[in-house]
Amino acid sequence: MLGYIVNRLLIMIPTMIAISIVIFTIINLPPGNYFTTYVAQLESSGEASDLAKVQFLETEYGFDRPLWQQYLYWVGGLLHGDMGYSFSYDLPVNKVVGDRMLLTAIVSITTIIFTYLVAFPIGVYSATHQYSWTDHLLTLIGFLGLATPSFLLALVLLYLANVYLGISIGGLMDPKYVDQPWSWEKVLSLLAHIWIPVVVIGSAGTASMIRRLRANLLDELQKQYVVTARAKGLHPFRVLFKYPLRMALNPFISDIGSLLPQVISGAAIVSIVMSLPTTGPMLLDALRSQDMYLAGSFLVFMSLLTVIGVFVSDMALALLDPRIRLQAGRRQ
Amino acid sequence: MKRLAAALQLVLAALLSAMPDTARGTLRETPFFEQAVANGSLPKVDDRVPSEPSVVDGTGAPGHQLRMLMSSPKDTRMMVVYGYARLVGYTPALDLAPDILKSIDVRDGRVFTLHLRKGMKWSDGQPFTAEDFRYWFEDVAENPKLAPSGLPVELLIDNQPPRFEVLDETTLRYSWVRPNPLFLPALAGPDPLFIYCPAHYLKQFNEKFADKTALDALVKKARVHSWAALHNKMNSMYRNDNPKLPSLDPWILKTKPPSDRFVFERNPYYYRVDTSGHQLPYIDRVILSLADSKIIPAKTAAGESDLQARYLNFNDYTFLRQSEGHNHFNVWLWRTGPGSQLTLYPNLNVDDPVWRELVRDIRFRRALSLAVNRHEINEVLYFGLAIEGQNTLLPKSPLYQPGLRSAWAQYDLGEANRLLDLIGLTKREGDGVRLLPDGRPMEIVVEDSGESTEQSDVLELIRDSWRHVGIRLFAKPLQLTLFRRRVFAGETLMSIDKGIENGLANASSSPWEFAPTSQQQLEWPKWGQYYETKGMAGEPPDLPSAVRLKELYQGWLGATSRQAQTQAWQEMLRIWADEVFSIGTVAGVLQPVVVSDNLRNVPEKGIYAWVPGAFFGIYRPDHFWFGPPSPAAKSASAARPPAHPLATP
Repeated sequence: MLGYIVNRLLIMIPTMIAISIVIFTIINLPPGNYFTTYVAQLESSGEASDLAKVQFLETEYGFDRPLWQQYLYWVGGLLHGDMGYSFSYDLPVNKVVGDRMLLTAIVSITTIIFTYLVAFPIGVYSATHQYSWTDHLLTLIGFLGLATPSFLLALVLLYLANVYLGISIGGLMDPKYVDQPWSWEKVLSLLAHIWIPVVVIGSAGTASMIRRLRANLLDELQKQYVVTARAKGLHPFRVLFKYPLRMALNPFISDIGSLLPQVISGAAIVSIVMSLPTTGPMLLDALRSQDMYLAGSFLVFMSLLTVIGVFVSDMALALLDPRIRLQAGRRQ
Repeated sequence: MKRLAAALQLVLAALLSAMPDTARGTLRETPFFEQAVANGSLPKVDDRVPSEPSVVDGTGAPGHQLRMLMSSPKDTRMMVVYGYARLVGYTPALDLAPDILKSIDVRDGRVFTLHLRKGMKWSDGQPFTAEDFRYWFEDVAENPKLAPSGLPVELLIDNQPPRFEVLDETTLRYSWVRPNPLFLPALAGPDPLFIYCPAHYLKQFNEKFADKTALDALVKKARVHSWAALHNKMNSMYRNDNPKLPSLDPWILKTKPPSDRFVFERNPYYYRVDTSGHQLPYIDRVILSLADSKIIPAKTAAGESDLQARYLNFNDYTFLRQSEGHNHFNVWLWRTGPGSQLTLYPNLNVDDPVWRELVRDIRFRRALSLAVNRHEINEVLYFGLAIEGQNTLLPKSPLYQPGLRSAWAQYDLGEANRLLDLIGLTKREGDGVRLLPDGRPMEIVVEDSGESTEQSDVLELIRDSWRHVGIRLFAKPLQLTLFRRRVFAGETLMSIDKGIENGLANASSSPWEFAPTSQQQLEWPKWGQYYETKGMAGEPPDLPSAVRLKELYQGWLGATSRQAQTQAWQEMLRIWADEVFSIGTVAGVLQPVVVSDNLRNVPEKGIYAWVPGAFFGIYRPDHFWFGPPSPAAKSASAARPPAHPLATP
């Protein structure tokens, strides 16, 4: 078991290296760099640009050096915890990202909790009342949420919320609370705004989870020991919760690894559409203007979180399911 | 004799009283600062306002806050643009008048004597004097570490800097050997030429004046590479992202970036007052909230902005009008400033030799222009509310003449076909498309920068009408940097972009857009580059008309009288109209301007232009104020028919 853990931890290192190389290459594929894009934008809008100053900045930040040198410079900084400098915001990347991480985390965690809270009871109900009309209805709703494009759903809900509930469009709270310290009103405003992105992002993940839980549970409920338990007169709830449900929980835990990146990237599109102050819109802007450090460092950071998340979910599954632990031991 | 003296005295008194500019009158304390004045942290209003302030006619009341929507943290610079505190500025009638300066004397167009206002202060209470100009000129602009490219081009004549003299604490003089017509318009521009900066604040970042250890500590703390980088970072007069930087603008930034919501508070030492004794600006605070640019029309319609034009397009108009009454704002339509909203630029420097021959032929350009159905474009895209015509000055400009816009701008397929036949392009393919002299079909690829759907819509319409004269059009959207690179290199045959930026020019504005002066001009990038780099790169213009335009431009630069300037302009405009170097479509496209019901002094009809209007700048937002909703505006908006044809400019 210990060998397995150490193995997994060691594999993370070449994974991260490969990811950083891919990120760096893709961001630098379009011709030019942040400065050429910036100058082009200035000139096309009629503003004069100080070309000598731009060239000076380019040499200062090493954009005239060969690509592999730029890559090593960047990775070296990352290893020291220095994510670099964002040119479009004119601030260190840590500062730009740091402010948004809290709200991104709130949205993501709320979405995951929402997904679990909704998927779990519906999945259990669907499995125990298979083919009843409520089962079909709930499945239909789940699939509708899965099929509708998230940005369209977001826009519709945004409009309806503004017209019928008076909630301000876009953003995670009423504009007047943005810079104020946390207070009860601010939390309430946050809750009033956050339900739209949570519902939109969560609805896609909910459907798949419902179906999976339903399928697993149905498999378990057909087995011999369940029939025996029922025949012996055990209460139906006890029959359900004591053993079959535990088996069916496996996908919930193993899915954390894939749910986290799905929620974060789904959140990116919805955040951009709804103008939320999270990391999604910031990332899009950074990629468009080829702000190397902001985009690249942030993506590496998110990949690191995902890799660690997958690792944690695998460990949690091993803890939850003795079969995995014992099998792993036996193979050794 | 006595009576004559008395009469003279009366006349003198009348003259003096008719110059309200420097008469202060009794000033009233601003309610926003009453508490600060009471507990001593701010001096009284009489000590804050200069002894010779700028006095404005006004009947507003101070108070309230203005909300606006922007989309990027860089938009804090818009407060410098809208605030429009300039040494000299444009009036709504587009004349230049001193604003921060008490007065300015110009001799022969080459010697400028600037008079500052006595007692004028920066926003932190320190005096604003000639020292701020001297520091900028000698220790910033002429310091190679701080300004590697030297003095700005508007200050150089024949590459020579001016002679800069400080005559006393409030008087300065800039002298050149030949006239410098670019100096004053540069000072009045939307992104102005700053020839001053807060010396008392910036000296702590300059190695010449600051203690070395203290400066090194500051550099380390800010994580920049050198004191020069720190100085330039802190001296963000236009970028407006440093809350600690003293400023002369009506509203001062109070929020440290990054943020999604920037708060600007009134400048306690602002130099303008109104005739009732209130210190401007009337509005206490301005709040800029950031949102994605695509969502701003929706947020504006929901009533989240009190004054909004940026990020609103004409096609949002009906949506905004629908929400007008419900959310207590008015939507007005202002005309935009460019000479043509969408203009086709045949590239005279294109590489392909066959196409180059053709594009240089005046008959070809005229034929292309005649084959564009401008009326259809106007009706389809702008409800018929725009002004059709060539890419040239707007009718509101004092230099405008009726023939300019209509030259070669009628829709005349017969004449276009005749011209093309005259050139010799008579052979056609089976489906009617003409053939080039070397046998290739005439297919023009028009490249655009992919930034707006308007461009692709217009190209659809032009494609259909050009088909009737036997030319196939293909639209090719490209990414911005690639698009420009291709045009500059001569790989693009034709491109589409905005037209003349300053459609409201008068004789004292620079006619640089009508002559090959810059690489940015998509119709002759290489000739423009030749001028910009003084012959180091690019090609010299060889079409006689282009050469003549260049000569006239240089004539305008050296003109010593307004009459000479006007003459140069008029001949340039005439050649421009004849030669059809760019094919304009429609101009004066209407810009929706959303104004809250309670916001007064915003003109109902105005011009929305970057140059020379600075968008809201020339209408002076510092004298906008919030009052009760005016009944006149309410009934006017209710009585207006839904489509508001502004047929006459």
